[in-house]
Amino acid sequence: MIADKGTSAKATKTVVEAGRPLIEIQGVRKSYVTQEKTVKALAEVNLDIHAGEFMSFVGPSGCGKSTLLNIVAGLLDASEGTVLVGGEHLTKPRRDMGFMFQAPVLLPWRSVERNVMMPAEVFGLPQEEIRPKARRILTTVGLGDFLDALPSELSGGMQQRASLARVLTYEPRVLLMDEPFGALDEFTREAMNLELMRIAAETGITILFVTHNISEAVFLSHRVVVMSARPSRVAGVVEVPFEYPRTVDVMHDPQFTDLTFQIRQLLGESV
Amino acid sequence: MTSSTLRRFRHRRAPASSRQQISRAQRWKYRGASLLITAAILGFWELLPRTGLVSEIVLPPLHEVITALGLLLQQSTFYGHLAVTLREIMGGFLAGTIIGLVGGIGLAVWQPVKQVTYPYVVGFQAIPKIVFAPLFIAWFGYGEGSKVVMGIAIAFFPVLINTLVGLESVPTDSVKLMRSLRATSLQIFRKVSFPHALPLIFAGIKQALTYAVIGALVGEFVGASAGLGYLLDSYNYQLRIDYVFALIVVLAAIGAALYFIVEWLDNRLIYWREQ
Ligand SMILES: Nc1ncnc2c1ncn2[C@@H]1O[C@H](COP(=O)(O)OP(=O)(O)OP(=O)(O)O)[C@@H](O)[C@H]1O
Ligand SMILES: [Mg+2]
Repeated sequence: MIADKGTSAKATKTVVEAGRPLIEIQGVRKSYVTQEKTVKALAEVNLDIHAGEFMSFVGPSGCGKSTLLNIVAGLLDASEGTVLVGGEHLTKPRRDMGFMFQAPVLLPWRSVERNVMMPAEVFGLPQEEIRPKARRILTTVGLGDFLDALPSELSGGMQQRASLARVLTYEPRVLLMDEPFGALDEFTREAMNLELMRIAAETGITILFVTHNISEAVFLSHRVVVMSARPSRVAGVVEVPFEYPRTVDVMHDPQFTDLTFQIRQLLGESV
Repeated sequence: MTSSTLRRFRHRRAPASSRQQISRAQRWKYRGASLLITAAILGFWELLPRTGLVSEIVLPPLHEVITALGLLLQQSTFYGHLAVTLREIMGGFLAGTIIGLVGGIGLAVWQPVKQVTYPYVVGFQAIPKIVFAPLFIAWFGYGEGSKVVMGIAIAFFPVLINTLVGLESVPTDSVKLMRSLRATSLQIFRKVSFPHALPLIFAGIKQALTYAVIGALVGEFVGASAGLGYLLDSYNYQLRIDYVFALIVVLAAIGAALYFIVEWLDNRLIYWREQ
């Protein structure tokens, strides 16, 4: 899936909005029922996400971003509403969708390479077929010299890169990321963002990306979904028109500042 | 132990950083200090009975114990007793470990069973198991069988509890990751839960080993016709205290040797342990 640079990059430069969306979130509501009380997390969410689109979600803490992402991943049942992926009802996790957490979630007893090959192992694919690809992707994310290292021997940023390599190795069509770089320092985060954008542009993968960082959301996304406080709904969707993939220069564009301001306002109104 | 864990059985040393925290000079200092303490204890052991402050019947001087140990090791009957006790220890240890492992996995995997039986398991643990020793001998006879049962009765529990706790403390994110890959329950168990629980399970196994030694000896004290515990009891009865101490030395050596074997296995198998 990490294809030759030239070919697929062009196709994903602008997202094709024609035709059926890849992911359709229709009237999704979610309430958590505990013994003491019922927490209404998602009031109602309707969204269409197109193939190849990079879509970010921002919103106040506790508004239900993770909840929504888990529902789209098939890890959590919605109380009401449906999610369609490629026109099919989502009832359980799909192997063409990959999930990435805020923590690296590596298995401490497996080497970096064997962690990256774990999904393929679960799918029952032959190891020898996957290994070259795993190595190639690990090299792409800068871990080519750490194939045999244990996770505990890596820094936090390196662990998160291993986690990214793991999800990329099995080539999902959709990548669901819940604050994947939230625990990283500013420099590493920026490097990871650029890497992610390059991969997104090259592969045409569809990405749903939850973050607390507004400029990160604007920088990376085709569209930014702003969610209101709990019980949350979509407060607004902000389009980011910059050419894709981008360089850090866009951050100095006046329009970039405008967009972040627009998102701040939407967030402010929703509180 | 799942085969996949065993297949990856390889030895890795602890990361260099944790190993080198104690400098070489410091290590020699610690060794010197513990040698000094040993020498002091042995010195007192030799001198105290000679001063007459302690009767030789209570504490025979060190050299007599060493002589007794030398004579003991030359008796062919001693090795018969040794073999009996070793078999009892290994029987109680292995069976106790397997029962604890299977029980712990069963309770962790099968929640309804846990809800129903867990109070009984804890209740059983609250009983001082030594009270069963006479019963076990009545039920299973004077031979090795009753000692093995005694060993099982005390050794299985730490393995069971540690297996259960280990399997139940698997990080939710790891399980979520596996679920997002649509892994089967068996795959989650083999690839995530069991290896995660392994360090704790091993801690339980180490405890089971010491317990199995206790089980065998208590059983022999209460009623037996062979074994090191039986031998020790008869020497005690004959007031051959030097032989009693010689046997204590033998038993300590057995305990230490077994412990280090498990410790060694533990360090090999759980190569990823963080300090
Ligand atoms: N398992 C659960 N049981 C009960 N309530 C829950 C559960 N998970 C989440 N909630 C509640 O649902 C709401 C939304 O949680 P969620 O984790 O989706 O928020 P979030 O937007 O991801 O927050 P953050 O930005 O802090 O990660 C929260 O108010 C939380 O209290
Ligand atoms: Mg969250």
